[in-house]
Amino acid sequence: MTNPVPPFIIFILGAMLVPILKGRLRQLFLLLLPVIGLIDIINLPAGTSWVYNFLGFELIFARVDKLSLVVGYIFVIIGFLGIIYSLHVKEAGQHVAALMYVGSSLGVVFAGDYFTLFVFWEIMAAASVFLVWYRKEKEALDAGFRYVLMHLFGGALLLAGIVMHTVWTGSIAIRTPIHELPFWLIMIGFGLNTAFLPIHTWLPDSYPQGTITGSVFMCVYTTKTGVYVLARCFSNIDFVAYMGGAMAVYGVIFALAQNDARRLLSYHIMSQVGYMVAGVGVGTALGVDGGIAHVVNHILYKGLLFMCMGSVIYVTGKRKLTEMGGLAKYMPVTCVACIIASLSISGGPGFNGFVSKGMVIASAAADHKPILELMLTLASVGTFLSFVKLCYFAFFAKNEEITAQEAPLNMQVAMVLTAFLCVFLGVYPQPLLGLLPYPVPVDYHTFTPGHILATIQLFLLSGLVFMVAKNYFAPHKGIVLDFDLFYRMGGRIILWFCEKPLNAVRSGVQGFLTNEVEGAAVLSRNPYRAGRLIASYFRGDPKEKYLAVRNEPYNVNTYRIPIGVSAGVATIFLFLLTLVYFVFG
Amino acid sequence: MEAKLKKLFLVVVVISIPIGLFIGHDHVHYFWHKIPSFEAIFGFLGAILLLGAALLLGAIARKKEDFYD
Repeated sequence: MTNPVPPFIIFILGAMLVPILKGRLRQLFLLLLPVIGLIDIINLPAGTSWVYNFLGFELIFARVDKLSLVVGYIFVIIGFLGIIYSLHVKEAGQHVAALMYVGSSLGVVFAGDYFTLFVFWEIMAAASVFLVWYRKEKEALDAGFRYVLMHLFGGALLLAGIVMHTVWTGSIAIRTPIHELPFWLIMIGFGLNTAFLPIHTWLPDSYPQGTITGSVFMCVYTTKTGVYVLARCFSNIDFVAYMGGAMAVYGVIFALAQNDARRLLSYHIMSQVGYMVAGVGVGTALGVDGGIAHVVNHILYKGLLFMCMGSVIYVTGKRKLTEMGGLAKYMPVTCVACIIASLSISGGPGFNGFVSKGMVIASAAADHKPILELMLTLASVGTFLSFVKLCYFAFFAKNEEITAQEAPLNMQVAMVLTAFLCVFLGVYPQPLLGLLPYPVPVDYHTFTPGHILATIQLFLLSGLVFMVAKNYFAPHKGIVLDFDLFYRMGGRIILWFCEKPLNAVRSGVQGFLTNEVEGAAVLSRNPYRAGRLIASYFRGDPKEKYLAVRNEPYNVNTYRIPIGVSAGVATIFLFLLTLVYFVFG
Repeated sequence: MEAKLKKLFLVVVVISIPIGLFIGHDHVHYFWHKIPSFEAIFGFLGAILLLGAALLLGAIARKKEDFYD
């Protein structure tokens, strides 16, 4: 058996081979890659390996501990499910982008130093944007550019923080920055990928614009690598904890107001990532465990939700809730999968979200953060409402016009497998709990009557509100503005500033210089008339007269001096020189 | 059919609330953990609050699809 390699190598090398292969062979190869990746991760030795010296620093490509392992496992597993879901895609480029994206995310997860992390961080942004651009419509291209601009901005902050941290501490090992400035720069750099308020706008902007299969990958990797690096460096910080609470509530309120199905899901990513960030920010064993367990569970149910909505869009071509409805009888598999995913994300007992969400909320309560506990509970009310709304208006609301059939087989298989994992980990969470970075505290139990009843009551009473006020929940046409209003308007102001005032200064300066250079060029054709020109200028001659002098060409006969004058001047000069020599010499 | 389901749902809602008198919260940290069926109250009020917030948001910030064009 060969030695294990850092897992990113398998996916990035694999991505390069994809365009060469065709048809069934390519499908087989795609399916094989994550399997090899999983075997590789299982065999990775604990501790650090693949360490290289670079300019006096240590680059670490494989830092293996419980935290990186659990995230690595789930990244490869959802990679496998995502590949099944996208098997029917013929364009090699989409597969290449997806595999590069998976590979670079694994590179971040197993990186042991900031330089390696940064390089993979940027590859992630560059690879993932192609999953948006491959939809090839103008709105997708524009959203992709905005996505890349924001991520480059975040990357620049991160790099600045890393450079300061390295210069001041002399080490590039990944740990919490000690100095204040790099601390905040690195945290905001990480936070942009984690959809911190108010720099989250790239998420609901670009994820709904991705290709059907691309969005399944996108909803998994970027935000979750963000949570992972926060858990590494910024655990047990109150700012992070409350940021998580704020994201959770903000996300559900915006989700409730959405019409585009995948934008609704995108705001729920923000909200659910809020739980993970809150758990990590609380920083107790239960909090970090809950946050990381939520990463795993969220990847499964959110991947499933994007698969379900992707299937609906693939079959019907409709993306807005106002255009959907009545799909349950045409797409039963998708409908059941979507209900399972909805119950999982809402944290229904017996579904995977219940386990991890409960841990995060309990950790906030136990760590003396009552406001955070209430914020997170409120967000789970909103999540349930939002998914009742999604399922109802997509699958059950009356719509006579719509006809559809079930999605392609590979999509259905992916949905069924993912749904199975959601239920499996919901009923039997022990395999997941065993992989978490800390041992789960002994006084915390998942399935207690208290927890189950609390969740059921929460669902029933908020469900009652939905039933009574169903019409108020109905989706509306149009978009809901978010903080990106300021960024996009700010961008336009910058563009206007460049086009109008800055451009005016440029053309003024250019005009002035052109004029002067032109004048110098004219003058150099006949330098003799400089004196007459100046005199003409100061005399205040009429323009025609001045121009007549200016445009007068050089004429040999006008300006040439007789040779005798030159000879006379030279003779006088020689005479003076001789005189000086004899008198003073 | 639909009316029956609604009635069944209402019955379940009504039954669920008194059960809270017998099953308390696991870890009591704050005063609301002692209130029986606190989650039922919170779920009801929270849902109304969030609905109000979402409606308000829609009223303020909902624009036509081509707003940015």
